[in-house]
Amino acid sequence: MKIVLKSETVRIASTLAAFFMALPLGLKGLTGIFVWTSPFIMLNSIIILKSFVVLNLLGTAVLLVVIFKNRFFCRYMCPAGFCCDKISGISRTKVSIHKKMPAVGSWLALISLAAAFAGIPLLILLDPLAIFHGTFSILSGDLSFVTILSLSGFPLLLAVNYIFPDIWCSRICPLGGLQDLLTDIRRRTSRLIRRKPQESDPYSPARRFFLASGLGLISGFVLPKLISPSRSQYIRPPASVEPATFNTLCIRCGNCIKSCPTNIITNHTDYSDLTSWMTPEINFGDGYCLETCNLCSSVCPTGSITHFSPDAKKIIFMGSAVVNYKECLLAHNKECDRCMAACKYNAVKIVPASRLLLMTPEIDQKKCVGCGACAVICPTSAINMIPPLAV
Amino acid sequence: MKRRDFITRTAIAGGALTLGLSCKRKIESSEPVEKNSTAALPYSGGKTITEPERKIPVFAETDVLVIGGGPAGAAAAIAASRAGAETYLVERYNHLGGLWTGGLVLPLLSTHAVDKNNRRKQVIFGIGGEMSDRLKKLGMSIFEINPVIDPEAGKYVLDEMIMESGVKMIYHTWASNVIMDGKTIRGVILENKSGRMAILAKVVIDCTGDGDIFNLAGENYDMMNYHIGLVHRLGNIDHIKPGIITDPKPDLGGETPIRGVNWVNMHGDNDQNGTDIITLSKLQMKYRKEIWESVQKIKSTPGYEDVFLLDTASQLGVRMSRILDGEYRLTLEDSMTYKNFKDVIGISGAWTTMMYKGKAVKAENRPLWQIPYRSLLPKKTENLLAAGRCFCFEKELVEDTRIIGTCLVTGHGAGAAAALAVKENKRVRDIDTGRLKELLVSQGAWLG
Ligand SMILES: Cc1cc2nc3c(=O)[nH]c(=O)nc-3n(C[C@H](O)[C@H](O)[C@H](O)COP(=O)(O)OP(=O)(O)OC[C@H]3O[C@@H](n4cnc5c(N)ncnc54)[C@H](O)[C@@H]3O)c2cc1C
Ligand code: SF4
Ligand code: SF4
Repeated sequence: MKIVLKSETVRIASTLAAFFMALPLGLKGLTGIFVWTSPFIMLNSIIILKSFVVLNLLGTAVLLVVIFKNRFFCRYMCPAGFCCDKISGISRTKVSIHKKMPAVGSWLALISLAAAFAGIPLLILLDPLAIFHGTFSILSGDLSFVTILSLSGFPLLLAVNYIFPDIWCSRICPLGGLQDLLTDIRRRTSRLIRRKPQESDPYSPARRFFLASGLGLISGFVLPKLISPSRSQYIRPPASVEPATFNTLCIRCGNCIKSCPTNIITNHTDYSDLTSWMTPEINFGDGYCLETCNLCSSVCPTGSITHFSPDAKKIIFMGSAVVNYKECLLAHNKECDRCMAACKYNAVKIVPASRLLLMTPEIDQKKCVGCGACAVICPTSAINMIPPLAV
Repeated sequence: MKRRDFITRTAIAGGALTLGLSCKRKIESSEPVEKNSTAALPYSGGKTITEPERKIPVFAETDVLVIGGGPAGAAAAIAASRAGAETYLVERYNHLGGLWTGGLVLPLLSTHAVDKNNRRKQVIFGIGGEMSDRLKKLGMSIFEINPVIDPEAGKYVLDEMIMESGVKMIYHTWASNVIMDGKTIRGVILENKSGRMAILAKVVIDCTGDGDIFNLAGENYDMMNYHIGLVHRLGNIDHIKPGIITDPKPDLGGETPIRGVNWVNMHGDNDQNGTDIITLSKLQMKYRKEIWESVQKIKSTPGYEDVFLLDTASQLGVRMSRILDGEYRLTLEDSMTYKNFKDVIGISGAWTTMMYKGKAVKAENRPLWQIPYRSLLPKKTENLLAAGRCFCFEKELVEDTRIIGTCLVTGHGAGAAAALAVKENKRVRDIDTGRLKELLVSQGAWLG
């Protein structure tokens, strides 16, 4: 009884912690840090990017613990699991068909990781922390019906659990499945070492491993070829990985959106390219990408936004500024130098225009990183921001 | 290779050592930071001569001496004289108003800003406001917000106000040196057709725009090289034949209160030193030539034959040069946060977009801002004040501080303060700012 109480307390604490950090509270580097504890996301990310950052240690630590303590994450840490449990507990429905459904969680986990080796983290979006965190980015993005709908994964999860109690954690969750899988492998390995006979079961790990990873690998190779490379080009956060990887690796947790001090990151919605649906897109509004800031890159738990140090900003080209001279005040001999004054990279020069007496802003595309400062300060909106020009 | 590819590849190369713990993915900088360079003065040799010592006639002894008759200087002299101080105003050219009139920079900007209740309202009152009102009464000012005036009317009105207030006006006279007594300024040496002369004063106000006086007095300053232009006016705009479409349409600048007359601003070359005489001479001729050619081009456009060059400005458009290192440096943050100063001498407005904390704030949304007396006070010299585009502020704020509206406000504040110092027989830094505020309000200034 004592232990149960304790675990309940820990669960409430974890859920509250995750909840607060999932809110856009200006927590800087702590924004959504809970997502980093998911070993499922961590594995997908490091397999795809073949690289590791310090915060991945969080996921790694959890990974090591769950090998020895099965479902440790579910039992103590998972905010989504906690809420699903509670909802299932109060559910009055006596539906139980799903109880006959096989548990697919570990299959999903395996398929996703195998596909990741082939280049696409197939089912990373099903991570419960991704679903949980994504919903709270509704509070910071600019609201529209489609964004709210698209980010309603967590309420949906709860609704499904209300109708089919316990369906998520025990049957579907790939993060739960991953933990089962790891424990299973550990048990069988130790039995093997102790030369105990293996029990026969139709889903023996070897068989399962073979099937699922085969499926994963194949889809990893085939799917990217089926999904046409992103047609729409748009401005992504600084140091984003290339579009195709970004679209599949990004878990839409909204950490970047919530952490941005100038609120320039929004959710991309483009019906013609659904693979990029809800990925972060830069929409400058009245703010620009600060020369001193690297928050989005440090809170991105998947590495879709590559971690960078602020002093590297001058070599991180997120977009390009283009002047529409007809609109520029200088084309009409009016007092202005705002774009030149705003550019922190000395990319804007005001130079003689082709017509006598007139000057024009000129943008050095080798220096322009696309921070948007000139575009947002321009009193006549004469500067447009476009995806990076190849120089 | 596309630039994004480059980044991703460097990033991945940086961390591609398989999945080991040590492989960090992080982009670090490697380029050196670009440095600004300052051009050396073009004078050769460094040769000098020694001027023989000589006696100089004292032209006058006065309470307040204002050097420079631009918007700031005119407002300062009128304020000081109205407050009861004997005041001399020295101007090198033949008119008051400085760049506003002689420089043909006709729009009085920054007259409005947003107050704490989010209402955009007029903020420039006091002597500057009175100038603007008089011009409006004459029908020589157009537009309610940021009015554009007629320069000749401006010169006329300023002369009128100077005479009414009893200021002793000395035109055609250059201030060429200061008379120092330790750290105290005792007067200024002047040059004119009558020769070299001195005016001794209890308080001197530097309204030269370029900080000539505080520079001579040995104050520290920041040099700000900025773009220098030359404004001109076009006549017969109303003779342009209607209905003719040309591409590109000739640029005719903006309208003025006089029918058929437009003023044409000029951005001009960047990063120019407004106190370097070779620069000034070269730009003067270059710009005059360009203006001439541009007007010829307009005249050769069918339908535009009657347009003519009415005049080029008699003052070269030096926007910035020396910025005083004063007792308080006014910041962009002060101007964006309704910062309250106990020693406020005036309030100014906003005319363009400013970047603040990563966000652009448009003129229509920008707050009004207070100017403290301390930002007119030099650090070392006693009994010297600076007003106009050379008072003490941080460069981020320059687009607002150098503007005519602000110059009128700082001028008014300095003039009143000088008169008060004389009356109370105190150093300018010791005056009671509470009484200064009372005096300013009694002279029609608005302090919020
Ligand atoms: C091209 C251009 C466009 C601008 N556009 C605008 C605009 O649209 N709206 C706006 O509000 N502002 C504008 N400004 C800024 C504004 O016009 C000036 O900053 C403002 O007039 C400065 O006022 P001031 O009194 O400080 O100096 P000034 O106007 O420069 O007056 C200084 C006076 O001191 C005299 N003087 C200088 N040195 C000496 C000396 N040693 N001895 C005797 N007399 C001396 C000068 O002859 C001059 O009359 C513009 C400026 C330029 C150059
Ligand atoms: S977007 Fe504009 S301000 Fe930013 S680096 Fe490019 S030119 Fe400079
Ligand atoms: S800020 Fe806009 S209007 Fe001003 S100079 Fe630059 S492009 Fe032209």
